[in-house]
Amino acid sequence: MNENAGPGARRDADGYFLRAEAITKIYSDGTVALKEATLEIHPREIIGLLGENGAGKTTLTKILSGLLPPSHGRVVSPRGPVRFANPREALDFGIGMVHQHFALVGTFTATENVALSHERPFSRIRLAKTRERLEALMEESGLRVPLDVPVEKLAVGEQQRVEILKVLSRDVQLLILDEPTSVLTPLEVDELFALLHKLKEKGTSVILITHKLKEVKSITDRIVVLRHGEIVGDVRTAAATTERLAQLMVGKALEGEPTAVELSADQLPQTLAARRKKASSSEGILHVADLVARGNTGEIAVNGVTFDVHGGEIFGIAGVEGNGQSELVECLTGLRVPVSGVATIRGTNILGKDPRQIYRLGVAHVPEDRWRLGLVLPFTLAENAILGVHRWEEFQGPFGILRRGKVNQHVRKLMDRFDIQATGPNAPAKSLSGGNQQKLIVGRELAKDPAIIVASQPTRGLDIGAAKYIRDLLIEMRDNGRAILLVSADLDEVLALADQLAIMYEGRFMTLCRPDSLNREQIGMLMGGVACKEVA
Amino acid sequence: MSWMDIVSLLRIALHAMVPITLTAVGEIVGETAGLFNIGLEGILLISAFAGALGAEIGGPWVGFLIGMGVGAMIGLIFAVMATYWKGTQMVIGIGINLFAMGLVAFGLIQLGAPGFHSVPRDVQLAKWRTPMGAMSPMIVAALVAPFIIHWFIRRTRAGLVLKAAGETPEAADVAGINVNMTRLLAATFGGAMAGIAGAYMSIAWIGSVTKDLSAGRGFIALATVVFSGLNPLLALLGGFIFGFFQGLAEWVKTLPSKPIPFQFVSMLPYIVTLLVVSGAIGRVRFPKALGEPYKRE
Amino acid sequence: MTENPARESRLLRGVHRTVTGLHPALESVVAGIVGLLIGALLMYIWGFDPWKAYWALLRGAFGGSYEWASSLARGTPLVLTALTFSICVRAGMFNIGAEGQMMMGAMAAVCVALFAAPTGLHLVIGLVFAAVIGALWSVVPALLKVYRGVSEVISTIMFNWIGRWLALYLAIYVIVDPMRAEKTLTVPASARFPILVRGTDLSASVFLAVGVALVMYFLLWHTTMGYEVRAAGLNPTAARYGGIRNKRTMIVSFLLGGITSGLAGATIAMGLPPSYAIFGGGGFPELTNIGFDGMAVAMVGRNHPIGILLAAIFFGGLNAGGRVMQFYGSNPVPLEMIRVVMGAIVLAMAIPELIRLFPAVKKQGERLFAALRRRRETRSKEGEA
Repeated sequence: MNENAGPGARRDADGYFLRAEAITKIYSDGTVALKEATLEIHPREIIGLLGENGAGKTTLTKILSGLLPPSHGRVVSPRGPVRFANPREALDFGIGMVHQHFALVGTFTATENVALSHERPFSRIRLAKTRERLEALMEESGLRVPLDVPVEKLAVGEQQRVEILKVLSRDVQLLILDEPTSVLTPLEVDELFALLHKLKEKGTSVILITHKLKEVKSITDRIVVLRHGEIVGDVRTAAATTERLAQLMVGKALEGEPTAVELSADQLPQTLAARRKKASSSEGILHVADLVARGNTGEIAVNGVTFDVHGGEIFGIAGVEGNGQSELVECLTGLRVPVSGVATIRGTNILGKDPRQIYRLGVAHVPEDRWRLGLVLPFTLAENAILGVHRWEEFQGPFGILRRGKVNQHVRKLMDRFDIQATGPNAPAKSLSGGNQQKLIVGRELAKDPAIIVASQPTRGLDIGAAKYIRDLLIEMRDNGRAILLVSADLDEVLALADQLAIMYEGRFMTLCRPDSLNREQIGMLMGGVACKEVA
Repeated sequence: MSWMDIVSLLRIALHAMVPITLTAVGEIVGETAGLFNIGLEGILLISAFAGALGAEIGGPWVGFLIGMGVGAMIGLIFAVMATYWKGTQMVIGIGINLFAMGLVAFGLIQLGAPGFHSVPRDVQLAKWRTPMGAMSPMIVAALVAPFIIHWFIRRTRAGLVLKAAGETPEAADVAGINVNMTRLLAATFGGAMAGIAGAYMSIAWIGSVTKDLSAGRGFIALATVVFSGLNPLLALLGGFIFGFFQGLAEWVKTLPSKPIPFQFVSMLPYIVTLLVVSGAIGRVRFPKALGEPYKRE
Repeated sequence: MTENPARESRLLRGVHRTVTGLHPALESVVAGIVGLLIGALLMYIWGFDPWKAYWALLRGAFGGSYEWASSLARGTPLVLTALTFSICVRAGMFNIGAEGQMMMGAMAAVCVALFAAPTGLHLVIGLVFAAVIGALWSVVPALLKVYRGVSEVISTIMFNWIGRWLALYLAIYVIVDPMRAEKTLTVPASARFPILVRGTDLSASVFLAVGVALVMYFLLWHTTMGYEVRAAGLNPTAARYGGIRNKRTMIVSFLLGGITSGLAGATIAMGLPPSYAIFGGGGFPELTNIGFDGMAVAMVGRNHPIGILLAAIFFGGLNAGGRVMQFYGSNPVPLEMIRVVMGAIVLAMAIPELIRLFPAVKKQGERLFAALRRRRETRSKEGEA
């Protein structure tokens, strides 16, 4: 990697390689992902980009790497503003990104995948030559990957290495990695970090997106923290403490005070104290022990989880998404078969069963992806309202007829009870707002009279009013004696609602306690993987 | 079977193989990129007709040129509708078939004789005299094309691009490839190949145009593509097998006492394809994004 | 000063709802018009007079009761083969096998000639047999899909050809008329559909077609099984999660599809005068393409039984009218142009939301609605003031 050639020459003048100036990104549905983010990237530095879900880290890097255009603001190099119409142009400039979901063609070998981003269209691919270059690259970088195996047959860590090699083979000056260590073993993490050091020595800059506090402290020179689309901190790593980082990541903390809950007054159902009802001698409904499960890419996603949920209690699982929460919920609702462990509802096993059987045992599920799992969008409100319970006695007529009349009655009751705004039971589900769709799902699930409700990201994408309604509903259900398992990436929500709190990180519970026994800082650190007793 | 019979069978088989193999090879390119064109039948028919007209104007080579051009144009329309307009490929293909059937039948009537039009001998592509009898030079094309396409897909970057567009268009997009344009070119090529195959039927083999000239060969080509698992060399084999059974059926028809009704012989290639596809023989694997329009997130 | 504001608003809302609610039907109409226009263009290029031709077409299709009868007769088998495609589309699958299932059904129906039975019962037996055979021919591809993952598009196409050859064999060797080798046995009078209008092809089979369409509508929209089939077709993940077994819905839809196409074949074998037989010698001229045309009908009918009935009348009219059009005037347009029109219509249907391709029109329409609504609001405010 010759410093004087190509893009390298662009960066000596003003001491920076690239600068993002007041980048704002507003998605077509109105979400503000980034607000006036300004960031300067220098050569030879490793920057850690820290933040929770939805903070804007991925959006910012997608803009830098050419996948997305900014809504406002611009990206500047010492030679002037730069604009990338697609990732290819960014690569030509010298910026390459390794995404969380790899952009690899599964049936191609590593060599072929690299060749894809090279050469002119009709050339005879000199695979041999590409292979040679790859071999040389592997030597230099210390990354080893089988070059002639279809990429889909490689382990996830190896696939990631192919992605990195792909980017490195283009002589990039800036390498962006999005949550790279979430799919790596500790050994592989060490190897990756060694590689990053080598790259730094050679003159390349690295941006590492992560939510893991220990990692970011160990490898980076500088840490930039994002929160709700804004850059709230830009500090030298040596000067930052994990406590300070955690604070920045999750929000202002009052010095030394416990439980600074961020929800504003009108969002809290009642005062905190009043809401904490004693989980009286209620029975244990859900019992989970040592649950282990694999994720979609084969690596272990749930790494030995044990807990109990009782009637009349909200058990909240907080944590950055991607730490095993989805897989855990899938195991408990019949969508995933775990590797080992125990999970029972009132003593009856639920692992490995199909959704219908689990529902019969008293489990209701408000899924995190309501469009994919919860609703059949082209169906009407009524048809969606009976999904899963359509075989109930009361809806059945002779010859397998579905009694529309009874169904509509049922639906109207739901609409009343849950204040679902729509033109009628025959309104297409598509036409409902997100909040009403969610109310429909919650109402439907409640109608099953379940012993436990598993609510996964229940207020995601909802406006404030709808979100409050759903939260009130959860409290009400709790007060009626039901058990609730709440999984949410919205920390404020979990803290406000949960009676018992677990923070999930890398497939395990970092802690299992009452929410008011921790202060915000501590929570932030746990979410970042720093264990409780390491806190001073 | 006498020696003469075998030679005759082989000759019929080779001739019958040509339209199937050429069409199949073209469709392989299209499906590799992710487009499934069920309208091949229609393209065969129209280009047979157009090719015949072209030959009557300017001789066999003009005929082939026109046939190829018409095929390419229909392939292009299919591709535009399927990629940029996000149409359902199945529906477009069926529409093409209906349209073509009507247009050709209609055109034949305009030419004078409803349902049939014979192409004058002198504008047909002359056959070579070989020890095996009169053979069309297009057989050579059908034998060679699969190898060229096979080399092209496996050994050029364009081939990689095709495969990427069909298998994981997202990855291709990130690599800077224009997925829709790639698919467009691929399907246009497929149409062109079917166009050549159609022209072959009217001006180099059967020598006439009838309103059901294609006789399901478009669908047979689709079956051959499935049988081949998107490998052009296997498409050559598949085309030969279909051609062979067609020849066999013809031969059985001529036998005075019929041991097996020729209909059963005609069924065989389809049954074989089914067996291949069900995994009874071999394992075929299709591009993951086949049949789906691509939208960048 | 103005009309009653309340009435005006109801009208406005009604119109707005009609335009957006009828949207799918509107698309079909637009596609139909586009197809006819393309046909007119081609006619014009070839030196025909399109308007005279279409006039003849219209009169030949719907000009009188005799013409109506012809149109309905032509449309009857199309309803049934269209249902095959549509039911399976609703279940999320492409069943291209109507052609083969229909042919096998036709052969099964002819078999009634092999035995005697009382009038009426004879017909029913034939129908049942045809339905069963059609269902069998359809369920095998479904099983291959469910248990071996074989694309149903490919397997149904293969079965079309296998079925066609098998039917040809049966028609020429097994159930052949001993005196006229080019046709099968004739279906005896006790097993025929009675003709409804003397001198036409319209038989009681039209009632069968309508009945089957209504039954299918009922099954899909008013039974639990139908609910599951539709849910699985629209969102298999959510359906699975709702306890629906997708394997079962796929197989059920293919069974139903096979039944309707089998019945289609039966309506021809047992309902087509004057011969009431199938001609194997000519390669099944009376059967060929009914399967594929049915798919066109299904698409134009938006895969809904009611839509299919309407589309079948239209397509039946095209066919019947075409027969008249080809003799009309000094320079008549040949019948084959009808097929071109059908193809153009299907192509126009292939583009989703054809109307959206004219965004200018839609925007204008929306602006108009907004403006009218504002006017109504200000007027009602003035009225209150």
